[in-house]
Amino acid sequence: MTQEITNSIAKFIAEKILKQPNKEIKSDEALISSGLIDSFSLMDLALFVEDTFGVKIEDTELNADTFDSLNQLAGLISSRK
Amino acid sequence: MTIIQILIIVIFTLLFAILKRGRDSFLLIASVLVMFWLQPALPIRGFDFWIPIATLIITIFTWLITTDNKLNRKNIFTLVIIASIILLINLTRYFSFAQIFTPSRPPQIEITLIIFLIFGLIFFLLMKYNASFLTFGLILLLSIFLILKIPAWTIELSSLLRALNNQSLTNVSALDIRWLGFSYVAFRLIHTIRDKQAGRLPSVDLGEYITYVIFFPAFTAGPIDRIERFIKDLRQPFEGLNQEKFFEAGQRLLIGLFKKFVIADTLALIALNDTNATQIQSTGWMWILVYAYAFQIYFDFSGYTDIALGIAKFIGINLPENFSSPYLKPNLTQFWNNWHMTLTQWFRSYFFNPVTRWLRSWQKPMSMPMMILLTQVATMVLIGFWHGVTWNFTIWGLWHGLGLFIHNRWNDLTKAKAAEWANTPFKQNVLNISGIIFTFHFVAIGWIFFALSSPVTSWNMILKLFGVVSP
Repeated sequence: MTQEITNSIAKFIAEKILKQPNKEIKSDEALISSGLIDSFSLMDLALFVEDTFGVKIEDTELNADTFDSLNQLAGLISSRK
Repeated sequence: MTIIQILIIVIFTLLFAILKRGRDSFLLIASVLVMFWLQPALPIRGFDFWIPIATLIITIFTWLITTDNKLNRKNIFTLVIIASIILLINLTRYFSFAQIFTPSRPPQIEITLIIFLIFGLIFFLLMKYNASFLTFGLILLLSIFLILKIPAWTIELSSLLRALNNQSLTNVSALDIRWLGFSYVAFRLIHTIRDKQAGRLPSVDLGEYITYVIFFPAFTAGPIDRIERFIKDLRQPFEGLNQEKFFEAGQRLLIGLFKKFVIADTLALIALNDTNATQIQSTGWMWILVYAYAFQIYFDFSGYTDIALGIAKFIGINLPENFSSPYLKPNLTQFWNNWHMTLTQWFRSYFFNPVTRWLRSWQKPMSMPMMILLTQVATMVLIGFWHGVTWNFTIWGLWHGLGLFIHNRWNDLTKAKAAEWANTPFKQNVLNISGIIFTFHFVAIGWIFFALSSPVTSWNMILKLFGVVSP
């Protein structure tokens, strides 16, 4: 289940945010603190997660303290499903 | 804060860290006392005593409208403690040797008692209808903020207060009302009001709430913590100070003292200011003034943060980081992810993200670049306003807002090509280092608007730096 979530988010990030469809994103790679995803794209990611998994991510949670890697984000999603 | 004030605070903190018992009461009482103690003297009679009281009152009222946790014995006890501290400080008026907590002699105690009475009446009113006052509280806080940050309005208020006090109006100035810590206090309060409105504010009692808002290590210069994170530390049983924690906190404190009082205060001697900006005649020296200012503001502010984090660590509170090598970042977006991080995070949470979400939800959303331009510029101009509503802070905000927008677009255009070109570690380093140098200079030129008070002087300075006009 978690694997499916991370795969689908990784695909979204590579294609839509980074515009490098072939880029592989590791599940423990830092996304926010490393600057890979900027604050504007972070909202894209939140809206994608909300539409795809039906899980709300608050505006105050879009930061590296709440989640920084695919694994952490997938954990957050699973815990709210 | 002076170095003596910091050392006194450190000594008392260490004393209680060693005692171990009664930490929470110590944090509350020390925070209240430090607030009175650090408040600068003001020319309007009695005001350096009323301002800390006003901070306490708005904090208690904001707690009241955001809490479900009504008046139990513990909260009443907190109120009694706060009232007793205020009265005791007020009583020092009658003992000239004992006026150590206030910069000038406290006013007559009758006025304090009348204020307590009015406070009590409003308190019971708010207790009955608390939630309906959330929006009102938000508007009130923002209004006070504007009055304090718009110099012309501050002068109006000062004239009014001087007139009420039968004081002369000839020396009226915006500096008459220096409300120590208000920018940080207001942002912590707004955070709790907005989280309450979103239904995600944890339940805290009055003592915890006041300690969070006016926590003495972070009172004058941040960081702006989040309440749920702060009370997690506060509720953890305090196990005292072992050797490892003592050295960790002590090291942080020493680094901060060195950054602030050795590096920043030395740089201040040659850093750009309104006086030397017009006196210097050589372009080379002008660059030195600008560089000195850029490093001074960093070492000053991040030094204060280190001091705050160090002192808080002594007593078992881990405040959030505020700076993470911002001048070593290869682009402006990353600079802003690492400079005054708790403030930028606050603006993301309560302004940038909600506005972006709202713009996205339009039936016919505007184009992406337009949306990025609008949100970045608005956010950065507001961050400018947080420092003061003046032309120079507005231009500084625009400079960074447009800079972030341009970086975003540039990145979009060149990301793929740059990744392709930088196929060796050497090329990656070239890209990285040139990015760091360029970003630092962009930020340093922005600081000119921050350091100087007039747009004309600032613009002339920039023209001279680039040799457009001769110095």
